Amino acid sequence: MNVKKQLKDGLITQNPVLVQLLGMCSTMAITTSLFNGLGMGLSVLIILTCCNIVISLLRKIIPNDIRIAIYVVVIAGFVTVVDLLLQAFIPALSSALGVFIPLIVVNCIIIGRAEAFAAKNTLGASALDGIFQGIGYTIVLVAMCVIREFLGTGAFGGGLLDPVKGLCLDGTGAGFQIFPAEYGVSILTLPFGGFLTLGCLIALTQYAMRKSEEKKAAKKEEVK
Amino acid sequence: MNNKIVKLALILFAVSAAVALCLGLVNGITAERIKVIADEKLAAAMNAVLPADDYQPVDYTGGDVLVDSIYKAGDKGYVVQCTVSGSQGSITMLTGVAADGTVTGISVLESGETPGLGAIAASSSEKGETWRAQFQGISSAAVTKDGGQIQAISGATITSRAICTGVTAAQNAVKTVG
Repeated sequence: MNVKKQLKDGLITQNPVLVQLLGMCSTMAITTSLFNGLGMGLSVLIILTCCNIVISLLRKIIPNDIRIAIYVVVIAGFVTVVDLLLQAFIPALSSALGVFIPLIVVNCIIIGRAEAFAAKNTLGASALDGIFQGIGYTIVLVAMCVIREFLGTGAFGGGLLDPVKGLCLDGTGAGFQIFPAEYGVSILTLPFGGFLTLGCLIALTQYAMRKSEEKKAAKKEEVK
Repeated sequence: MNNKIVKLALILFAVSAAVALCLGLVNGITAERIKVIADEKLAAAMNAVLPADDYQPVDYTGGDVLVDSIYKAGDKGYVVQCTVSGSQGSITMLTGVAADGTVTGISVLESGETPGLGAIAASSSEKGETWRAQFQGISSAAVTKDGGQIQAISGATITSRAICTGVTAAQNAVKTVG
């Protein structure tokens, strides 16, 4: 079990959104305020970790022929549990994310990790994989939210932070208005603004990863 | 071969049954709270469009597909819940209709309109409040472009028209029950 490599994979080299390009739909649609991004990220993190644990536990008894059907049943079960809990205890988040919580069922990150990782690895490694991949997803969502919210509406921390009330966990925070909303690039708050933002983020990651590889290669040359 | 199929089916059945059991348990814990929250939300919205002490559901047989349900708000009038199609999807809204047929207020329960444009119709911001206040006291709803008196949200004529459609449907529905 290589925790360090798994962490690096989840956050950068195998980041679910930036490198594996999974879960695009929710990434475009909900990253308009910090509250939504963090809520969605954490929901996926919890579901992904639970599914990875269960599927890793059952990996020896799941017959190969019907493994996908079983993954889908397990995933749909956890998603429904989280959906019901959100509706009952954090209704603001539930109404902000709307249909995207039930749609986690078909979010490829979860079935992708179940098939590619949890079905072949031990319980501990699978649980860590769920947590790290979930963190990687959450970080990208939060980054997109901050960029789109700031450039699109001139605010920071909408829903979650409030200049007067401080931290609001019920999604009523007004956010910090850094410049008036009228001057924002409002296309960034629309789904295709999400594509633009994500494209730039992916390009940046690729650039940074290539730079660091070139550096490593140069070091090897020197040693020779 | 036959044995294998039976075995696969049994495993899938066992997993499904276990998941269903968990879901049943969670549903048992949350169902009540979810209902309370939904009722509170509806009650708050009803109070905003037509304040009354209690709201009694009324049977609606008029057959207008836009109308979801009608509530009688004491002797003050009716609150009608309609679902109309906006520019990005359906809009669920409440319209308060006084006993004399005039509109007392509107409120949008659920919608997915364009942020910054159509979403103003549903937003709790000052802009949204002012826009919805236009409907108070009118007897027929139409945007100025269509010869009415409702100033459409700029850049969101489709949304504005949809809301007017809902208001008109609500008024017509009230005529059939009242």
